[in-house]
Amino acid sequence: MSTFSGLNTATTALWAQRRALDVTGQNIANVNTEGYSRQRIDLQAIGGSVVPAFFSTGTGIGSGVNADEVLRIRDAFLEGRGHTEHANTARLTVENEAYELVMQAYREPGDTGVQSLLSDMWSGWEDVANQPQDEAARGQVLKRLETLVGGIHFSQASLGAQWTQSREALDVLVADVNAAATSVAELNQAIKRAVQSGLPANDLSDKRDVLVMKLADQVGATVRHQDDGVVDVLVGGMTLVAGSTAATFATAGTYSVDGVAGDPPRIVTAAGGYTVRAGGTAEGQLNSLNTIIPSYRNALDATAVSLATSLNTAHAAGWDLNGTPGTAILGSSSGPITAASLTVLISDPKLIAASSVAPTAGVPALDHGNADAIAQLRRSTTGVDANYRKMIVELGVEAAVAGRNLDIQTVISTQVDAARESVAGVNIDEEMTNMLSFQHAYSAAGRLITAIDETLDKLINGTGRVGL
Amino acid sequence: MRITQRAVALTSLQGLNRNLDAVGRLQQQLTSGRLINQPSDSPTGTNRAMQTRFDQAAVAQQQRNIGDAKSWLEQSDSALREMLDTTRRVRDLTVQGLNTGANTDTSRQALATEVASLRDGLLSLANRTISGRPLFGGVTPGQKAYDATGAYVGQAGPPVTRRVSDTETVRVDTTGPEAFGPVGNDLFAVVDRIATDLLADPTALATHLDDLDTVMKTMLTAVADIGSRAARVEREEQVNADRALTLSSQLAETENIDLPNTIMRLQMQQVGYEAALAATAKALSPTLLDYLY
Repeated sequence: MSTFSGLNTATTALWAQRRALDVTGQNIANVNTEGYSRQRIDLQAIGGSVVPAFFSTGTGIGSGVNADEVLRIRDAFLEGRGHTEHANTARLTVENEAYELVMQAYREPGDTGVQSLLSDMWSGWEDVANQPQDEAARGQVLKRLETLVGGIHFSQASLGAQWTQSREALDVLVADVNAAATSVAELNQAIKRAVQSGLPANDLSDKRDVLVMKLADQVGATVRHQDDGVVDVLVGGMTLVAGSTAATFATAGTYSVDGVAGDPPRIVTAAGGYTVRAGGTAEGQLNSLNTIIPSYRNALDATAVSLATSLNTAHAAGWDLNGTPGTAILGSSSGPITAASLTVLISDPKLIAASSVAPTAGVPALDHGNADAIAQLRRSTTGVDANYRKMIVELGVEAAVAGRNLDIQTVISTQVDAARESVAGVNIDEEMTNMLSFQHAYSAAGRLITAIDETLDKLINGTGRVGL
Repeated sequence: MRITQRAVALTSLQGLNRNLDAVGRLQQQLTSGRLINQPSDSPTGTNRAMQTRFDQAAVAQQQRNIGDAKSWLEQSDSALREMLDTTRRVRDLTVQGLNTGANTDTSRQALATEVASLRDGLLSLANRTISGRPLFGGVTPGQKAYDATGAYVGQAGPPVTRRVSDTETVRVDTTGPEAFGPVGNDLFAVVDRIATDLLADPTALATHLDDLDTVMKTMLTAVADIGSRAARVEREEQVNADRALTLSSQLAETENIDLPNTIMRLQMQQVGYEAALAATAKALSPTLLDYLY
């Protein structure tokens, strides 16, 4: 033990407490920073020699404090949980939005949806039944049919536009994911270098973890921890980032809503074109692209086909004002009948087959039986109205379930975030307390120097001066 | 568990958001006046609302059908009554004609002329139309039920009916033969024969008088028939009006908000929201900093 070792001890203390205060300052500065993990100085007493030898002995007191390491406090398991829950929330959010848009496309229940157009059309047939001789009534039912067909076209076009938007959003999302993956790889590289050369990499790690959380939101990424603070990012079992190299994803599949069945939109690896089972926002978008929107488009197609079939069959059973049997009233503008191609084939009001009796001796009967029969199609339990209503109710149930799932998932996700925050977040009270203790420790170390200084002063300047 | 200011802020924010969301939902219900704004608000309610709207459309149409049926029946009824009056006059004239002793040739001539002109009046009444269709012409596309010679030119076919409820139809027309007797022995043929025989063969008038009575009986039966159908239509009209009221109150019950209840809930929600705001403001502000000097 040397004369000045006490001073040295006090110096390490001053340095360590100042560094601790710096860390506290950093924590306080970042109390509201997204993704910041609180840091804690790792104070360690400098002990005696590890391996005592003849010339290497200690007094047993130690020689001060070491404050080299600054720890970043973050729970890897909670982070993993956070990735999963964030991915689920993102998926449900997208699906919920998709249902909302589908509901908007149908505009039910109300006076503007397909159902009220259907009701108007059937009422038009009853008007024809009341006035089979009146061309105005006949013309009106044709106009109402056209309005109905227009309404079906509009709903189908809204769904198509929604699909196209989602498809474009998927491309943007994948481009964003690729950019984030590249950044994660670069940060991994920087972290590795810093760790290997013993430099602090805490803030780099925070930055990277924010990006990884974003990837979890977007494609349901999960992480695998490697040496030197590096993480690998996986998506559905496929590696997106391995150390300092990032793979690239791409979208594949049709850009046309009609091609979904043959060539569904999907996310693939740019190299090899393997399909990636993505989670998060991407999964929600893929679900709405491949399942939700197509199923409601198909339902509308089925509505159009059923409407055309039932009307045409019933219409063919009657005779028009000219005494000829009724022809097809609804058809397709091109190709098979769908909600988009449905069109009214008759434009001459005389051609509406309102009569249910054949002309006698060439004179057409002014009967209304067939018009009434067509008007009664509305009551069929397997008819257009019933099936359409069933579809809307199913849509309502599915949308309600999606909304409720999202509510539940949001609560879970917020709880996990709060748990993550409770580990990694900054508590100002705690920082204040720490600040006080570091401040006091600093003052005490200062006082120690003064004490040693006074002792030495006495020894050097006050001794051996007897009689002076 | 370690709690941080940010965690408190996050959970407070979530609570506030949920409160605000509930306030917004109630606000939307109040401003739109509707409980169901989209199917997911209540799938079963949506089903009910759609079903009710569907029934409403049908009931409104049936109301129109009933109006139409009433006008058909009223027109037929008034035409038949007027014709009955005319026919009675024809009968009186025939009875006068039978009185062979008191009639000179001139007066017989006058009787015959009047009967012939009454016949023309009867024909024009029998050809009365409703929106372009002859009332007694069946399903003929033409404008007339009887031509100038008194021959029936209407067309037999299925009866003309009006749908007065989901399941019921009421016949509104009466064909010529039903109202005026079978072809060849109908009102116009009988009156024609009377006009002829007033001059040619007054002795045959007695037979014609019997025929005329038969025809009049047929016409009276037709009037009674129309009357009973009109009564049925009126009953259906009443039922229909009741049903329309029930349906609209049912739709209001399903779709519309209960105003006092919603306002009450909004008030309560607002109180809750304000309390949450106050609590959050109190919980977020203090730190140790406030007590350090």
